[in-house]
Amino acid sequence: MAKELRQIAIYGKGGIGKSTTTQNLTAGLVEQGKKVMIVGCDPKADSTRLLLGGLAQKTVLDTLREAGEDIDLEEILTEGYRGTRCVESGGPEPGVGCAGRGIITSIGLLERLGAYTDDLDYVFYDVLGDVVCGGFAMPIREGKAKEIYIVASGEMMALYAANNISKGIARYAKQGGVRLGGIICNSRKVDREFELVQAFAEELGTQLIHFVPRDNVVQRAEIRKKTVIEFDPEAAQADEYRELARKIEANTKFVIPKPLTQDRLEEILLEFGLLDI
Amino acid sequence: MAKKTINLDMTECNNREMRIGTIISWDGKASELVEASNYEQRSKHEKHHHGCPGGKGKACQLCELSTPFSQQTMCANAIVACQAGNLTDCILIEHSPIGCSANHIHFNIAFRIGLQRRGKSPENLKIFSTNLNENDMVFGASDRLRRTIDDAYERYHPKAIFISMSCSTAIIGEDIDSVADEKEAELGIPVVPLHCEGFRSKHWSTGFDVSQHGVARQIVKRNPEKIQKDLINIVALWGTDYFTEILKPLGLRVNYLLDMASYDELQQASEAVATSTFCHTLGSYLSTALEEHFGVPQIDAPMPYGISATDEWLRAIAKVVGKEDIIEDYIRSEHERIQPELDQLKEKLKGLHGFVLTGSAYAHALICALKDLGIEVDGSVVFHHDPVYDSGHDRQNSLKYLVDNYGDIEHFTVSKTQPFQLPGILKRVKTDFVIIRHYGLSPVAAKLGIPALAMGDEHFPMGYNGIIRLGNLILDIVARKKFNKVLSRHTELGYTDWWLSQEDPFVLAHKPELINEPIYETNGGRYDG
Repeated sequence: MAKELRQIAIYGKGGIGKSTTTQNLTAGLVEQGKKVMIVGCDPKADSTRLLLGGLAQKTVLDTLREAGEDIDLEEILTEGYRGTRCVESGGPEPGVGCAGRGIITSIGLLERLGAYTDDLDYVFYDVLGDVVCGGFAMPIREGKAKEIYIVASGEMMALYAANNISKGIARYAKQGGVRLGGIICNSRKVDREFELVQAFAEELGTQLIHFVPRDNVVQRAEIRKKTVIEFDPEAAQADEYRELARKIEANTKFVIPKPLTQDRLEEILLEFGLLDI
Repeated sequence: MAKKTINLDMTECNNREMRIGTIISWDGKASELVEASNYEQRSKHEKHHHGCPGGKGKACQLCELSTPFSQQTMCANAIVACQAGNLTDCILIEHSPIGCSANHIHFNIAFRIGLQRRGKSPENLKIFSTNLNENDMVFGASDRLRRTIDDAYERYHPKAIFISMSCSTAIIGEDIDSVADEKEAELGIPVVPLHCEGFRSKHWSTGFDVSQHGVARQIVKRNPEKIQKDLINIVALWGTDYFTEILKPLGLRVNYLLDMASYDELQQASEAVATSTFCHTLGSYLSTALEEHFGVPQIDAPMPYGISATDEWLRAIAKVVGKEDIIEDYIRSEHERIQPELDQLKEKLKGLHGFVLTGSAYAHALICALKDLGIEVDGSVVFHHDPVYDSGHDRQNSLKYLVDNYGDIEHFTVSKTQPFQLPGILKRVKTDFVIIRHYGLSPVAAKLGIPALAMGDEHFPMGYNGIIRLGNLILDIVARKKFNKVLSRHTELGYTDWWLSQEDPFVLAHKPELINEPIYETNGGRYDG
């Protein structure tokens, strides 16, 4: 019997650490022997840098533009750390064209080229910022990612963004099977961060699936174009990502989020003293 | 100085529905629409007036039917193609996928015929498409637009280049303004961006305004050195040059805008003594732009269709060009000239009922001409309705002119060329023939057994001679009555019994839930009405 493919989309405020978290988490999964594909859905095309050891990947959209429709999967899919399959959707230069349409185009092409093979355990979509238009919701439409994790921190804007993303998920959940699997807290060392994000997650009807502490080893690994697990397997932070991987592997709590009203969100922030700063 | 209604500083013009409150669905008596339109109040362009007869709301939108189903329509992008794309020595570039250019075969025929009607040699349209594909949507297509402009310039050396926006390029935010500025500086000719994406406006007539906006903004000569005292602008489509014969006695030459015009003809619009039009729907924007920004007055009169409207129109022109001394003699002699033939025609046409389906203001005018021929008109369909025109001039209130001078129209319908409504609309009136401006609808009427005139030449019924031409043509058309009856027995419309039995052509607007109910077809949709 074929394994069931888990397709997972990672959303979160810009700069919160989605790509870093996704790649480190992937390293944790492949260590466990899982077969993973990462589809970077950001025009900057930096979602697979740590797994490939640099920006080595030619994007789907650039390839499509230069080679036309007659392209092979090998041209746009490169194997990285321990056989992780890496794809970068790519996109237009800032300020022109339509990045959202680019995601629709490239995911459509991946399907036609047969990138979703039976031996895969996981496909991760690392999606830019917020769900600003239909194109950025492509990874969570019918037949694509059924699980979503939101990367957040205890900072106010990160929680605002997470709440907005939940609205998008709630909308699509009515039509298809997409569910929120949890909030991943990428710590910014804000006061009472764990409690705040946990309270926020509960209010949404989901869970704080893992609290990833802040550790400069992440930056050191990034400079060397590596995940923490590859750069320093013995580091405590490497174990944090392994733990996150285990929790996601074992996760069974998938919900339709109940987004907070603006007033309620601000109340929670007050409750945890964030607005006193 | 009075506040300007038209802003030529921006590259985009305001939508017709925003500027003048255009609607596309309405059904009732013409007199009720006159009242609801409240032309006089709206013409003041005040933000917080209470023009709505029900006194509702600040913005006071004219009450409009909301229908859940539309069978066909056009868009502003297509209209731009048949305006800015119909100039003799300029080029239109459609910044769009190729499908937006699908209707040029039809427009090419109109252009070729139109050129001949104006005494110019026939030629084909010169419209380029940037022919965008998926990659262009993702990465942007401005370089492709630049290349297309260069190609068009190299191949034809046009005097101006227009760029039309499409839905797709508007969604991805193509900056046609910047490309136009850049290429204008480089090539030394006007490069005019036209913001006519289809989703901008619910009615295609916004495409007229967009084209005219671009011409007024970038082509018409600012601060002309001279005034041509014998030149009058006529904002028109493809009609035959009947305006020259009627205006010659006033010592006037005609400068037609925009279709089939040359760059120089567009430029000299600001040198003319006045502007008028064959249809206020079409001419509203450019006439007002020329009046407000170039000091060229527009003729404040009904359109020259039917005897009394033609009289008024000529008097208004005479006043502007200082020919008041000769105008009454001219009008009198014209009346005397056509009277014997008009009497004969009225005798032959006695008892006939007609029905008109055309653009908005044009229908009002055409009905005047029919009524002067003694033809009864119980109903009409106009493809949209403007409760006021941009100028707000009193004597341009064409629907009020019709109702005041010729009586009410019992069944006056505003609807965008919807064939499925025609059986119901025509069932409730008595009619011996229909006149239709948009060709696609005339076969529907013909299949219903009603002789249909697809009127291609919109100037045909204008002026005193036009009434005579129209009368003779209607005699030809009604002679086909038997043919149409036979045709109706042998053709089917394709609608269900259920639909054909509906009394109300707007039943889907009044009961929108019907659209979700199952339909049981019984006889293959034969029309038995």
